[in-house]
Amino acid sequence: MSIAWVAPEPSYRSYLQVRSLLSMLILAGMVAGAFFTGIYPADVFPLWWAGAIWAVLTLFFSVFFASRRFLFTAYARSPEGMHLKRGALFRKIRAVPLNRIQHVEFKQSFLERLFGIARLAMYTAGSGGADLTIPGLAPEYALQLKTELLTTIANEPEQEESNNE
Amino acid sequence: MSELAWQRTPLITIAFFLLKQLKQFVTNISNLIPVLAAVFVAGKNAVWLPFALAGGYLVFTIINAVLQQRFFLYAIADDAVHIRSGLFNRQHLTLKYERIQQAEIHEAWYFRPFKLTILSVDSAGSAGKEVMIPGLTMPLAQELRQRMLEAQDAPQSTNTASSTTAPYDEADVEQHFPVSEIIRAGIIDNKLFVLLAVLIYPISQLDLLEDYVVPWVQANVSWLNDDNAWLLVSGAVVAGLAVLFLLAIIVSLITYHDLKLSIRGERFQAKSGALSIRTLSFRYPKLQAVYLRRNLRARLLKRSVVRVSQLQPRQAQGGAQQGGQQFILPVVDADFLARFRLLLRLPDSAQVNWQRLSNLALLGPSVWLGVLAPVAAGVLFFALESGVLGLVLTALGWLLLQTLVVLRWRNYGYSFVTSDTQPKEQWFVVRRGIFSRNENWYPRHKVQQIDVEQGPWLRLLGFSHLVLHTAAGSESIEFLARDEALRLQEEWTQEIARNHRRWM
Repeated sequence: MSIAWVAPEPSYRSYLQVRSLLSMLILAGMVAGAFFTGIYPADVFPLWWAGAIWAVLTLFFSVFFASRRFLFTAYARSPEGMHLKRGALFRKIRAVPLNRIQHVEFKQSFLERLFGIARLAMYTAGSGGADLTIPGLAPEYALQLKTELLTTIANEPEQEESNNE
Repeated sequence: MSELAWQRTPLITIAFFLLKQLKQFVTNISNLIPVLAAVFVAGKNAVWLPFALAGGYLVFTIINAVLQQRFFLYAIADDAVHIRSGLFNRQHLTLKYERIQQAEIHEAWYFRPFKLTILSVDSAGSAGKEVMIPGLTMPLAQELRQRMLEAQDAPQSTNTASSTTAPYDEADVEQHFPVSEIIRAGIIDNKLFVLLAVLIYPISQLDLLEDYVVPWVQANVSWLNDDNAWLLVSGAVVAGLAVLFLLAIIVSLITYHDLKLSIRGERFQAKSGALSIRTLSFRYPKLQAVYLRRNLRARLLKRSVVRVSQLQPRQAQGGAQQGGQQFILPVVDADFLARFRLLLRLPDSAQVNWQRLSNLALLGPSVWLGVLAPVAAGVLFFALESGVLGLVLTALGWLLLQTLVVLRWRNYGYSFVTSDTQPKEQWFVVRRGIFSRNENWYPRHKVQQIDVEQGPWLRLLGFSHLVLHTAAGSESIEFLARDEALRLQEEWTQEIARNHRRWM
C-alpha cells in the first residue's frame, strides 16, 4: 500500500474534543433544566448518579473517543484520486478518482474558525450529500488544494473514442 | 441566444397541466389530512364549508392550469432546449442535449385523439430535474428527440458511422413481445400484493365484515351451518385474490401492450402501451447499470426481467416520478436474453466465474440466531399454555430463519468480467436473492467512489466490505479479505482515473 496518508491538523483533535464536550454540556443543561423545573424524578434516580454517569461518558467521549477518532482520520492525495479514512469503531476508507469529482466545496463552521481549521467537501455524480469531506485542514491549504483539484478536473482530457480498448 | 424562437404549446395542453396538478394533489394528500380533518370538524356546523373548499380548489386549479399553459414557452436551439415557465416565479431552464440521459415520447391517452405527445427528457442534474414539453406533434417530437440524441453522437461519429447513417426507420434489432409474453410479465410482476396492502387498511377501517356481511349471511343463508362456513369463507378469499391477480395482469397488459424493442446503433428504444403509448429511448454510453431480475414466479416461467438504469440522483429515487420512467423489458426468455446481453455488451453467462462468500460470513447471523432462539424459547415456554408447543414453535422459527440465512449466503456471488463483445466492456456483477435470482451489472469505469468498510465484527474476522458507488446506486461486495479489498480499491481507483472514456 503506497498511499501516503496525511494526518489532519493537530487542532482538529481539540476541535473534536470541544465539540463532543459541547454536546455533553447541552445534555447536562437539559438535565439541569429538568431538575430546576421539578420534572426530574430525584427520588427514583438520584442526581449524583446521573452526574457520575455524565462525567464518565464525558470523559470517555471527549478524552478517549475523540482522540481515537482523530488518530484514525487521515487523507491522502495520489495522482489518481483522493483518499480518506475515518471512523474509530466503524472504519471506512473511501477513494474517489479525481476525474469523477463534480465540484468542490470549502466549508468552515463557527467552531472550526475558532480552531483555525476548515473542511473540503468533494461531490461526485448521482449521490445525495457530500461524498468525501476532508476535515481538519488548515484553511490556506484547503483553499490551495481546492484550486489544485479544480485545475486537475478542468484539464481532464475530453472523452475519446469509445472503443479505444 | 437572442434569436430564440419561443413557442407556445397548443390549448389542449391545459389538460396536461390540470392533470399534473391533480397528480400533485393526490401525492400530497397525506400531508393535507390534518387540514381536512379540521375542515371536517368545522363542517359539522357549516355543511357548505367542504363544498366551498372543494369548489374553490377546483376553480383555482383550472385558472392555474390555464395560466400555466399561457406562460409555458419553449424554444429549440441547435444544442439546447430552453423552457420558460411560471407566472410569478419565472423560470428559465436551459438543457444541453449532450447532458440528456434518456428521452421519452409519451402519447398520453387524452392527447391521442389530437395526435399530440409529451416529450420528457431526464438531465443529469443533482435534483433529477426532468423537463416535459407537452403538446408536440409526433413528427416534431421524433425530430426533436433525434436531434437531441444525435448531438451526443457528434464527438464519436467515426465509431458508429456505419449504423447511424442507416435510414431512420430501419433498426438493427427489433423485437416484438406478443400478448402471451405480456401475460407472463403480468404474472411475474404481479402488483397483487401491493394492491392488497393498499386495500387492507380501508377494509379494516370500515368494519365491513362485522356490520354488513355477517348479518346478511345469518339472515339469508340459513342452510349455512358451522361445518362448511370456513369453506365458504376461504372460497370467497381465494376468489377475491384471483380477481386481484387477474386485475394485476390486466394492468400489465395495458401498460406493456404491443411492447416493441428496437436497437439502432447505440440507441435503445422501447415502445409500449394500450391507452397511453410511451416510447423510451436512451443511448448506450449513458447506461449506468443493468439489472436482471428473476423472482420465483419468473424462474418457474423461465423468464427474466431486464431493467437498464441511467444516472439517477439518489434523492430522486423512491420519488413519485419513478416507475414508468425506467427502461424495462418485463419479460425476456432465455434465447432473447442471451442476444440482448450481447447487445448490452454483457458477457455470456457461462463466462462469469462467480465468487462465493467466505464460510465465515455465515457466522455472524448464525450466532445472533443461536443467541436469540434460546431466549425466545424461554419466553414462549412460559408464555404459552403448553410449554412444548412453545419449544416446537421456536425450533421451527429458528430452522426457517437459519435456512433463509444459509440460502442468502449461498446465492450471493460477485464477479469481475470482461466481455468478448466489440467494443469490450469491463463489468462487475453482484448476484443475490433468497428465492429469486437477481444480478446487478455495472460497467467498471463508471464507478464514482470506492469504500472499504470495516466494523468491529469484521475486524475481528479480518474482512472488509468493498462498497462501490455508481451513478445508478451503490453496490457492496461483502466479506473480502482486508488486503484484497484494499488492493482492489487502489487498483480500480487508478484504472478509473486513467480511463478517459465518456461515463455520463
